Amino acid sequence: MAKLEMKLENIKKNFGGIQALKGVDFDLQRGEVHALLGENGAGKSTLIKIITGVHEANEGKIFVRDEEVEIRTPKDARKRGIAAIYQELSLIESLTVAENIYLGNEPTKGVMGVCDRKTLYANSQAYLDKFGIDINPRTMVSDLGMGQKRIVEIVKALAVDSQILLLDEPTTGMSKVEVETLFKIMNNLKENKVTMIYISHYLEEVFKICDRATVLRDGKKIDTFVMKDVTQAQLIKSMIGREIRSQRSRKSKDLSGKAVMLELRSYKTDRMQAPISFAVKKSEILGVTGIVGAGKSELAHSLFGHAKPESGEILIRGKKVILSSTRDAKRYRIALVPEDRKKEGLFLEDSVANNMTIASIDQIENGLGFLDHKKKKKLSVKMGESLKVNPLRVEMPVKNLSGGNQQKVVVAKWLMSDPEIVVMDEPTRGIDVGAKTEIYDLIKGLSRKDKSVIVMSSEFEELMDLCDRILVLRKGEVVGELLPEEVTNERLLSLSLGG
Amino acid sequence: MNQNESTWNKIAKILKGEVGLLLILVILCVLFAFSSEYFLTAKNILNVTRQISVVLTIAIGMLCVILVGEIDLSVGSTAALAGIACAWVMTTTGSQSMGMLAAVIIGIAVGSFNGVLTVYGRIPSFIVTLASMGIIRGIGLVWTQGKPFSGLPESFSFIGAKHILGVPVSSIVAVILLIIGYFVLHKTKHGVYLKAIGANSEAATLSTIPNNRYKVLSFVVVGMMCAIGGVMTTSKLLTASPTACTGMEMDVLSAVILGGASLSGGIGTITGTALGALIIGIINNGMNMLSISPFFQQIVKGMIILAAVLLKRKNSKA
Repeated sequence: MAKLEMKLENIKKNFGGIQALKGVDFDLQRGEVHALLGENGAGKSTLIKIITGVHEANEGKIFVRDEEVEIRTPKDARKRGIAAIYQELSLIESLTVAENIYLGNEPTKGVMGVCDRKTLYANSQAYLDKFGIDINPRTMVSDLGMGQKRIVEIVKALAVDSQILLLDEPTTGMSKVEVETLFKIMNNLKENKVTMIYISHYLEEVFKICDRATVLRDGKKIDTFVMKDVTQAQLIKSMIGREIRSQRSRKSKDLSGKAVMLELRSYKTDRMQAPISFAVKKSEILGVTGIVGAGKSELAHSLFGHAKPESGEILIRGKKVILSSTRDAKRYRIALVPEDRKKEGLFLEDSVANNMTIASIDQIENGLGFLDHKKKKKLSVKMGESLKVNPLRVEMPVKNLSGGNQQKVVVAKWLMSDPEIVVMDEPTRGIDVGAKTEIYDLIKGLSRKDKSVIVMSSEFEELMDLCDRILVLRKGEVVGELLPEEVTNERLLSLSLGG
Repeated sequence: MNQNESTWNKIAKILKGEVGLLLILVILCVLFAFSSEYFLTAKNILNVTRQISVVLTIAIGMLCVILVGEIDLSVGSTAALAGIACAWVMTTTGSQSMGMLAAVIIGIAVGSFNGVLTVYGRIPSFIVTLASMGIIRGIGLVWTQGKPFSGLPESFSFIGAKHILGVPVSSIVAVILLIIGYFVLHKTKHGVYLKAIGANSEAATLSTIPNNRYKVLSFVVVGMMCAIGGVMTTSKLLTASPTACTGMEMDVLSAVILGGASLSGGIGTITGTALGALIIGIINNGMNMLSISPFFQQIVKGMIILAAVLLKRKNSKA
C-alpha cells in the first residue's frame, strides 16, 4: 500500500449546538488526487477548514506523514506543508508572475537586502518548467486568463514547499482548454509526489482526474471509493443517501384557475449565457436550481431590474414591461430577497427598523415629507412580530441579530412593500433549522395569499418540499422542468451536473 | 413651559451623541478664557460665528458628499468663482439679486460637472475634484486677469458684514442653512438614502434607492453651498478675489471629519459637523487672541484633528 501523507481520525466539530462533523475518518495517500464529495451542508467545507487550520476540531486526531500534529491556525497548516487554493484568487494583479510566486519570500542579495531579480526570475522559470507550465514569469498577472491565474496560484503554493494541496472548485470560470492544462499540471504534480484534495461539483472532472473519492453526508463519512471501481450513479446515490424516495407524498397544487403573473420570453441579459423562457402563475411557488455558476443569481437580479436586457421580453399580467431599474421592479410589485444578505441586503450598522422600512420609506413619510418615527416603529414592530424576529428590538443595530433573524429582516423589508411577485435567492443560506422552517412557512403563506414566489436555491430538499414546479439551470440554460410528482433528489442532481 | 421642556429634552438628546466634541469645546473655551479676558465676551463669540459662517455653510454640503462616500476638493475654488460671477453680473446688470443668482448657477454647474463625471464617468471623486479644483481656480484667474474685482456697492455688504440685533447676518444665514440641513438629513428620507448609499451601495440599489441621482445631487448641493459661501465672502470684503477661499477645502473637511463623519461614507451628523466647525473657529480665534504665530497655528490645528479622531476611535472600540 502507498504511503500515507495525511490521516484524520474521528474528527468532530460542533458549531453552537449543531454537529457539523460527527466523527470523520479520512486518509490521503502520497501523490494521489482525492475528491471530497457531498451535498451542501454535508460537512465538506468544515472538514477543509479543519485541515487548513481555519477551524479547530473539538475531537479527533490528525497525523501528517505518520506524526500526530495539532493544527490550530492556518500558520500551523502551512508549516506542515498544507496549502489551499480557494475559489477567490489571492494574486496581486499589478505584479508579475514571478513577483507573485515569491511574494514575501523574495530572494535578496547583499547586506541591504535588495531583491535579487535575476534569481527571482530564474527560479520562477525553473519552477514553471519543472511542472511543464508555459507561462512567462515576467508577464503581469493582470494579463493572464482565469485558468492561468489559478495555475500561478498553485505554483505559488508549491514555491513555499507545500506537499498537500487543497483545490476548491478550481475549474470555476475556466475554459475547456484551461481545464485540460490544469489537469496536465495536476498529473505532473502527482508524479512529483504532491498530494491533492479536489473539491468540485462536476462529477465528470472528478472521474477524469481523481484517484479516490470520499463522500460525506450529514457530517459523516459515507465511504471512500476508488474511482476506477465506481460509477457516477453509485456516487450520486451515496451523496444523497436515503434510498431514493421515489414518490413524495406531495401532489401538484391545482393552479389551473390561476392567471399567469410573470412570463419571460427568450429573455437574456448581458450577464446571462443563454436566453430563458418560463411563466409563473399567481399563488405558484416556482423553484429554480442549479450548481454554482448556473446563472441563478443573474436571473434573480435581472428580474429585479438590476441588469440590462439584451433580448426577449418580460410580461407581467400579460403586459409587456421594461424593467430598467430596481425602482421599476418595485413599481410592478416585484421584490428581491438577495443571496448575500450582508453585502446586498442589509445596512448592518443601521437599526432593524430602518432596515425594514428603507425600501418603502414613503409609507412612513407624513404630509410634509418628514419621517414619522412613531409610525416607523409601529410598522417594524408589527412586521417583526409576524416574522417572529427574536429579539425584537427595532432600535438595535441589525448586525447584533443572528443570521436567521437578519434574514427575516431582509424578508421584512420586502414584505413591507406588499409585493405580488417575490424572488428569493438562497433564502435559507447559513441560517439555523428553526429559522428555516419559519421562512418556509412564510413562503407558503405568501402563496396562500395568491402571491407568486420564485425560490432560487441549491438545496434540493427545500425545493422539493416547497415548490409547485422546479426549473433546473445549467450554464445559464433551462435543462429540466420537474413537477412535485416526478421530482427526486437524484434527478435534480443529475440534471444540474449534466450527468 | 411643558412645551419648552420637551424642546430642551430634544436638544439634550441630540447633543448627547456629541459628548466628546462638546468636551473638547468646553476645554478649549476654558483654556482660552483663562488666557484672555476678552475671549468669553458676547462680542467675541459672535465674531467667531461670523468667522466660521462660510466654512460651516460649505461643510453642510460637504457632509452630504461625504455621507455617500465621495469627496469634493474643489469647494474653495468654486466659492471663489461664484463670488467673481456674482460681482461681475452685479456690476454689469446693476442688480444684486441677478448677481447672487449667477453665483448659484455657477455652484450648480460645478456641482453637476463633478457629480456627473464621478457617477457616470466612473472616475473617483477625489481625482475629479482635484482636477476641477485647478480648472475652476484657473477660470476665475483668467476671468479677472488675476486681479481682485472690487468697487461693489456698499449696500451689498448686508449679507457679509452687517448685523441684525447685534448678530452677524452671515451667522444667521449659516444657522438657517444648518437647521434646514438638520431637518433634511435627519428627518426626511433623503438623509436616510444618503447614508444608505454610503454604508452599502449594493444594498441601497437593491432597496430601490436611485444611487446615481442622489450622488449627483449631493455634489450639486455642495456646489450651491459654495455659491452661498462665495457670496458671503465677496459681500464681507466688497471685493471678489480670484484667490479667495484658497485652502478652504482643508478647513471644511477638517470640520466634517472632526464632527465624526466617516470618509468611507454612511456615517456623519449635522450637529457633529457644526461642532467641528465651531471648534476649528474657536481654535483660530483663540490662538489669534494669544497672538500665536499663524505658522504655529497650522501645527496645532492638525494635531487637534488627529487627537480628536484618535479619541473617537478608542471610544468606539471600547
